[in-house]
Amino acid sequence: MSTLTVDQPGKSVLMMGNEAIARGAIEAGVNFCAAYPGTPSTEIAESLARVAEHFGLYAEWSTNEIVALEAAAAASLAGLRAIVAMKQNGVNVCSDFLMTISLSGTKGGLVIVAADDPSAISSSNEQDSRNFAKFADLPLLEPATFQEAKDITKWAFELSEKLGLPCMIRSVTRLSHSRGNVKLGEIPEGRPVARFEGAYIAGAFVAIQHSALHQKLEQAREAFEESEFNWYVGPEDAKFIIVTSGSGWFYSREAVAALGLGEEVGILKIGTTWPLPERFIIDHLRQATEILIVEEVDPFLEQNIKVILSEQAKTLGPIEVYGAKSGHLPGFGDINQDKVARALASIKGLEYRTRDEVYAQRASDLALPILPPRMPTVCPGCPHRASLWAIKAALKLDGRDGFVTGDIGCYSLGAGPAGFWQLKTLHCMGAGTGLATGFGQLGQFGFNQPVISVCGDSTFFHAAIPGLINARFNNSNLLMVILDNGGTAMTGFQPHPSSGYDALGRPAPVVEIEEVCKAIGVEVKVRDPFEVDQAIEDLYDMLQEDGVKVMVFRRKCYLVESKEKGRKRVFVEPEKCIGDDCGCARFCSRVFNCPGIIWDQEAQKAKIDEVVCTGCGVCATLCPRGAIVVEGG
Amino acid sequence: MEAGKGPVDLEKEVLNEGLCASCGACVGICPYIKVVKDRVAIIEPCGISEGQCYDFCPRTPTDIAALERRIFGEESPDSSLGSYISIEMAQARDSETRSRAQYGGVVSALVTYAMNQGEIDAAVLTRPFDGSLMPTSVMAEQSSQVLGCAGSSYITSATLAELNKATKQPRGAIGVVGIPCQVMALRKMQASKHETGAKGVKLVIGLFCTWALSYKGFNEFLKGKVDPSSIKRIDIPPPPANILVVHTKEGTMEFPLDEIRGSIKPTCNICYDMTSELADISVGMVEGIDDWNTLIVRTPEAKRLIDKAKQDEVIESRPLEESRLDHLREASLNKKRRAISEIVKRTGDEKNLLYLRLSDGESRKFL
Ligand SMILES: Cc1cc2nc3c(=O)[nH]c(=O)nc-3n(C[C@H](O)[C@H](O)[C@H](O)COP(=O)(O)OP(=O)(O)OC[C@H]3O[C@@H](n4cnc5c(N)ncnc54)[C@H](O)[C@@H]3O)c2cc1C
Ligand code: SF4
Ligand code: SF4
Ligand code: SF4
Repeated sequence: MSTLTVDQPGKSVLMMGNEAIARGAIEAGVNFCAAYPGTPSTEIAESLARVAEHFGLYAEWSTNEIVALEAAAAASLAGLRAIVAMKQNGVNVCSDFLMTISLSGTKGGLVIVAADDPSAISSSNEQDSRNFAKFADLPLLEPATFQEAKDITKWAFELSEKLGLPCMIRSVTRLSHSRGNVKLGEIPEGRPVARFEGAYIAGAFVAIQHSALHQKLEQAREAFEESEFNWYVGPEDAKFIIVTSGSGWFYSREAVAALGLGEEVGILKIGTTWPLPERFIIDHLRQATEILIVEEVDPFLEQNIKVILSEQAKTLGPIEVYGAKSGHLPGFGDINQDKVARALASIKGLEYRTRDEVYAQRASDLALPILPPRMPTVCPGCPHRASLWAIKAALKLDGRDGFVTGDIGCYSLGAGPAGFWQLKTLHCMGAGTGLATGFGQLGQFGFNQPVISVCGDSTFFHAAIPGLINARFNNSNLLMVILDNGGTAMTGFQPHPSSGYDALGRPAPVVEIEEVCKAIGVEVKVRDPFEVDQAIEDLYDMLQEDGVKVMVFRRKCYLVESKEKGRKRVFVEPEKCIGDDCGCARFCSRVFNCPGIIWDQEAQKAKIDEVVCTGCGVCATLCPRGAIVVEGG
Repeated sequence: MEAGKGPVDLEKEVLNEGLCASCGACVGICPYIKVVKDRVAIIEPCGISEGQCYDFCPRTPTDIAALERRIFGEESPDSSLGSYISIEMAQARDSETRSRAQYGGVVSALVTYAMNQGEIDAAVLTRPFDGSLMPTSVMAEQSSQVLGCAGSSYITSATLAELNKATKQPRGAIGVVGIPCQVMALRKMQASKHETGAKGVKLVIGLFCTWALSYKGFNEFLKGKVDPSSIKRIDIPPPPANILVVHTKEGTMEFPLDEIRGSIKPTCNICYDMTSELADISVGMVEGIDDWNTLIVRTPEAKRLIDKAKQDEVIESRPLEESRLDHLREASLNKKRRAISEIVKRTGDEKNLLYLRLSDGESRKFL
């Protein structure tokens, strides 16, 4: 049973941050959830979809984040409570609607969860989505604990309804993806009737709307002054105060404890970070002469607090502010207890050592032989490896220095060794095809390199279709390769419009990628990338033709396929393997480099790592000696 | 035969210079070298410094005299047509074969015969028209497949790759039909220290060849003029016609040769061999007589096969008129002169003949 359905108020349950957010929505009686998967936000909508039938709520995977937000806003305008969850980049995608829905206002509680990925572990950029709340004049909440993740979410619905404004929650990987105890609240019963009334027009008397919006924000500020999500711990008269929000709370508390500064340093933790609760902050900083601001990614809190300090300079007197600007904390990347403790120690002139250096050395010495050094790569059995090899071969055969414009998906790794370094540009969803349509117009300037854009099946629906239509409309020259592995693989294989099932696993109509392309009027071929030689030939042929062409490389992610159909055993017949000799030169383990193939140093032969191998068998078709055998053919 | 060179050198000296003949000798050995249509490329350097690819290529340094000694037991005494036992004109006796063949059908008839007699178990052929302008390479294992490959395509296909594939699945005795660059590559494969499918080749039938066309160029030329899938035969009648004739299901079309010359593969301009001098048997046209072939028998083994084929009434022959033979010699010598002068134009050095390792005496004849 999901922790989301446990109906025992007061019970303490271990939950992932994202589940706690989903639970908060359930406790707020959420009716509608729309999202596009993206790390670290995915589990929010995923857990809500799992209990959708149980609670009679609606949940969908939308084609992209702006559509998700618009769909959820519709539910709000009809008086329902709705939630959208997205990763940081999703906020950029939906920003156009965000900037206008704030003007028109909303009705039912509408909560937008933006999950940031500090240090960009699973992203193409690092950003601080809190800036968007300020930019769009929306109230912003930042949970610091698992309990708060739930409670803030629940409260955000009430606040949104009260203000008639969407409310934004900012999470970060550390909170979204770790687990902690959460005390459950009540689950409301009953389902409201949806009905649309009135009009929500952004753009009518904008200046008036904008000033009304500022008044709503003032109301939010008033509510924040009294919020239970802002608190202070530490000595009454502390001269040194850490001001923090979100994940910074954990780290600050641990750092203070580690340095034994509990008697001396206070922590002011803010859960409502835009607009800031000014009075609350001033009250707690009256005694302070030094503050350290601890937050993840941009100095958002730092800059906004500095504004308050300067406005209140007379009341508060001079306060030294430490943080990103002073260089004590980075202002980029993730933070941790260590970084905070180091900052604190350096300000305080204390000695601080993370862990015993001898111990650290010994630990890394021990770990090295166990962990084989591996470059980031796509999974064993991933069809993208074969697709990118085919692309590389076709471009080399073509001989005109063609190149690949990349996109966001597992295949983004194609910018590195996993894709034989083929991707030469990498930005945001849809950018590969957008760039390609531009490159394809440069013929009149002497440009004669063929351009291949790659995009995933999910990315195609998300953001690449307008680029393709543009290419067709303006008669560009490009070959778009759609790497169709049957789902949104990077985030855990969520369905998309051509998957044939929906967020709840129910059968859904299929939007065929090739039919969309045909309707746009471009030449389209569908091939299996595991038939590598055929794939190379077809790509080569398409590169010789002018105009806009689409190749769909269709092959299901083999991790999924082998789970569904069972795994075939693949092994090497050592007597046939010629290894380092001319005729092979260790192609499988050295060049094709599937993690399932290893080089047996002792035997000087290739070997299949049967624990890792998924049994896809593509290496067997590539081995020049037929040394790799798939059991049962 | 130049030791110590590999794919990096092959790429630099042959592929990047546009000198690849798309013979296929380097294709199918390993996963690094690929062919599509008639384009050969090294997808990624394998890191090996001394490789089969470089060794086999007909456009890497080749000691012609050494190959001749290996095949014929002596260097060729004849600078125009190479070593031979006899030159005559011949044709297939079977009228079906003749009607489907390019000229007299000697090639198709001999390959079929050799397979039926058990002289060879398989034959590496080229199917000239297969629904597209691009010919396909075929490893025929049944004699009934041979006639399906009759006719000439003026585009080269990487036919020898079939031999490399044979390393994976060994076959018995193999026959090969190829144009001169392919025959030269095949002989280099046989002479190489490497284990190759060419070691099983027992019969080499070489075709005459003045030049071949690049797929890309010829395809673009025919675009909008001829539907490639309807082509039944392409012929270049002897001078002074100066035309290329395309026979399709719909009818016959003629194009001035001068419009097509731009599509001739650059490597053909440095090719020194018109009559497949290193083959066991060489076959070409007889100028002005459409259903006969010129037949050059070069090795005793080949002579034995030809004699048997005549006895069994598979082919018939007549003496070739002296004037025609002179004409053939002149044509061959012309190709050599053109090649040497083109090579020297490229290298700017009469001592540097690129891939050709000729004795000083031999090369001086053509300078
Ligand atoms: C590119 C090319 C250029 C030629 N130039 C001349 C020339 O200048 N003067 C001349 O006298 N003869 C030339 N020939 C040879 C001629 O066209 C005939 O192939 C030859 O006379 C044999 O005739 P046939 O009737 O016995 O052939 P068939 O019985 O029809 O047999 C033809 C054989 O040729 C092979 N073949 C067809 N296309 C190719 C190809 N592209 N590459 C390799 N093998 C192929 C097939 O496998 C088939 O077995 C050329 C052939 C080619 C392929
Ligand atoms: S590709 Fe084949 S021959 Fe080469 S190392 Fe792998 S198993 Fe051995
Ligand atoms: S493996 Fe051998 S044949 Fe292949 S590219 Fe390398 S040296 Fe050449
Ligand atoms: S001529 Fe033949 S061996 Fe040489 S590079 Fe071309 S295909 Fe390879």
